[in-house]
Amino acid sequence: MTFRQLAYHNVFRNRRNYAAFFLASVFSVMVFFVCSMFIFHPLFEKDALQLLAIRGMMIAEVVLYIFTLFFLFYSMSAFLQARSKEFGVLMHLGMTKKQLNKLIFFEMLIIGAVSTVTGTVFGFAFSKFFFMIGREIMELDTLPLYVSWEPFLLTIVAFASLFVIISFVSVGFIRTKRVIDLLQGFWKVEEETKSSTMLAIMGIVFLTVAYIFAVNVSDETVYYIIFIVPPLATFGTYLFFTHTLSFLLGLCKRKKKVYWKKTRLVSLAEATVKLKDSAQMFFIVTIVSTVAFLTVGTLASFMSYTGDFRETNPLGLIYISFDGNEQEAEHIERLTSQLTSEQLSYDLVELTVKRQTSEASGNDVDILSLSEFNRLATALDFEPAQLVQGEGMFVPFSLDSAKELENVSVDTALIESDVPLSIRSTYPHVVFPIHTLNINTIVVSDADYEAINQPLVGYESGSSNFTYYAFDILNWTETMNIGNRLTDTMYEAADTADFNGIDYFFENPGADYRWFKSSFALLLFIGVMVAAVFLLAAGSFIYFKLYTGLERDRKQYKLLTRMGMTDKELGKIVNRQLIPQFFLPWVIALLHSAFAFISLQVVWDEFAELSILGEMAIVLGGFTIAQILYFFLIRWRYVAHLQAP
Amino acid sequence: MTVVEIDEVTKVYEGKVTHRAVNQLSFTVEKGEFLAVMGPSGSGKTTLLNLISTIDSLTSGEILIDGVNPHLLDKNELALFRRREMGFVFQDFNLLQMLTVEENLVLPLTLDYFPVDEMAKRVLVIAERLGLTLLLHKKPNEISGGEAQRTAIGRALIHQPAIILADEPTGNLDSKSSRDVLEILSHAAKEDETTIIMVTHDPIAASYCDRVLFIKDGEFFNEIYGDERRQTFYQRILNVLSLLGGSVNDVSTTRLP
Repeated sequence: MTFRQLAYHNVFRNRRNYAAFFLASVFSVMVFFVCSMFIFHPLFEKDALQLLAIRGMMIAEVVLYIFTLFFLFYSMSAFLQARSKEFGVLMHLGMTKKQLNKLIFFEMLIIGAVSTVTGTVFGFAFSKFFFMIGREIMELDTLPLYVSWEPFLLTIVAFASLFVIISFVSVGFIRTKRVIDLLQGFWKVEEETKSSTMLAIMGIVFLTVAYIFAVNVSDETVYYIIFIVPPLATFGTYLFFTHTLSFLLGLCKRKKKVYWKKTRLVSLAEATVKLKDSAQMFFIVTIVSTVAFLTVGTLASFMSYTGDFRETNPLGLIYISFDGNEQEAEHIERLTSQLTSEQLSYDLVELTVKRQTSEASGNDVDILSLSEFNRLATALDFEPAQLVQGEGMFVPFSLDSAKELENVSVDTALIESDVPLSIRSTYPHVVFPIHTLNINTIVVSDADYEAINQPLVGYESGSSNFTYYAFDILNWTETMNIGNRLTDTMYEAADTADFNGIDYFFENPGADYRWFKSSFALLLFIGVMVAAVFLLAAGSFIYFKLYTGLERDRKQYKLLTRMGMTDKELGKIVNRQLIPQFFLPWVIALLHSAFAFISLQVVWDEFAELSILGEMAIVLGGFTIAQILYFFLIRWRYVAHLQAP
Repeated sequence: MTVVEIDEVTKVYEGKVTHRAVNQLSFTVEKGEFLAVMGPSGSGKTTLLNLISTIDSLTSGEILIDGVNPHLLDKNELALFRRREMGFVFQDFNLLQMLTVEENLVLPLTLDYFPVDEMAKRVLVIAERLGLTLLLHKKPNEISGGEAQRTAIGRALIHQPAIILADEPTGNLDSKSSRDVLEILSHAAKEDETTIIMVTHDPIAASYCDRVLFIKDGEFFNEIYGDERRQTFYQRILNVLSLLGGSVNDVSTTRLP
């Protein structure tokens, strides 16, 4: 046996301990590789959505890299500590510190090489599958598999560097340098945690305060809260696991009636002992799970943004022609012919919008005539409005403004043309998408409309009017290919902020909708992959703790069976031991995320009216089911190992 | 020839209560001598062994092994010193679980980067001698305690160290396995001139040795040399132990006129 073989045996014959850790690393490499496959795809044109995809994947890769670094760092330190007795023996036999470092370095290289290669191979094998999902989301015709050295190189270089970093750093994890301490073993210290009552209470107080803050967040305070609550909750969680829990268990133990009852004696005593070892692991698992929930939940809540898109964008296409637009007829002609050739049925309503200054507010207002407005309303299957001369009606620009304007009445006059108006009502639907008309838009009777004969201050006669072409299209999401040239011109002008020579405005809500939907779905897709890596890593921490304690547990269960404990009771004890390990961090993470989403809801309310409850329920429910499956899998293996002769 | 020289060695554990585990102890061990160290629990036997095996530090005094004071070496030299000059046998064997018997045997050679064929040669010899030939490819958890301890002794012998330190090697073994282990150790001392220091509780184990050193409360108490018959040596050890059992003052009033 050469020295290298020693390292090799250490890894391969300990594979049961390394299994979950290895699985998490492989999965991380795999997701990283798939992201690289997207990034380097030769067919990706630099169009907006694909650019977003590439950026999203890059961010995902950076997050994965950093997370994996942290994950390996923590796992390795736990691994090496668990093996300190073994290192003690080796050093006792005369292994130098340098040789020990070399041994650990070799071992890490083996693990790193195997998991990088496995992850890459699996990643390549599953690329086609992920490409299919990507193709669906991005609505591409084809997204074929390709072979290129770039994704391989990126993945291998990234993870090779990562494992080399960890190999160098992990050597420093063996804290005690005295052989005699190493020989005692790390797990030997199993005294009960001495919990400080003060810190225990502080843990609860911190969490409660954080939750109260989160619930009572309002639009004004939200920006402070974002900086106060997360650190408070994190610190509170730490104290909760390190002190509060053992404090509570101590309280339970003091009541002998509760404590000395059947299997409770064993399970409670076990729990107290294991808590000391596991407190930090619980803390990390909780935080990692919370971050994963929040990531996916937030991205999922974006999806609901598309939910009320239709209500705020009832029009299929919008073309606005300003004074001096010579291409007006040509553009409208092209749009209608494109719609016809795509076999999309449409109604085109032409509205001439006049602009005036309102006396009451001093602001510009856009004026529509009742007959033109009603023609559009009928086309959209909305109820027509009724107005008499001298009466005006608000047209809301958003669902919010519709609510706000509901009971507002204003008496005003249009300054330039001297038309008095009394505005008493608000149209109950959003007809014109925000930004396509002035936020102060009113409908007036035809007679009043005719009476407006003066242009807005500072304009020549007639030059302040513009024409609003509103298309009502039945299959409004199918307009992807309509007016692409106009869309491009609009994007270009918006990018360069140069609107010279463009006397028109074009918007394609159908295409925008598809774009939003695709990009959010894409972000969600990436987010779920990253979150899956997080959760798998969190699971591997738990697995690792279980398996390093397996030998000891086995002895203990054997003793208990010998003392006359039935298999059923054993099952009970195993459950009592495993369920907290699996679900305690989980429950706390769920609680954290739930409260975080209550605050998020307030933030979202400000940007866009969304309810994220439904999405959240799906996300958290899905993860919980996954965790329950994982629990049964591990429990099955664990009990099998315990009962093995 | 003196191999181990212990001179006025003292070990004090600082803590809430300062504890003097070994107090001004002096003795020497000759080459090829098989020495047993006995004493009641807490008398400092294991501490003494740890001091000699260089994994614990001295408070005062001097230890010389083959004329070298290992406590003056730096950590690296110390590891090399342990690797080449010492072999260890523990009560709970301390075999590495993921290595086979064969791999556990060659471990000290592996650490010293021996060529593989040299390792293989030595394994065969030592396995033959310790009766491990059929077990070479088993894992430590598949063999009995006696076999495990023989493996551990093989690991301690394979690099032909100057001195073997054994801490209760028969503590976890049945009487038959104990006898095997002790005979192997005794044989190693006689034939190979390996110096062995063994800490033990068991008077039978001690009776295999050339000399028994008794310590109490970290201090020298008595020493007796073996004779031709193990049975009488055993009896004499028991006699000293019965003295050790009570406090020294009690003994002197009852036994001395």
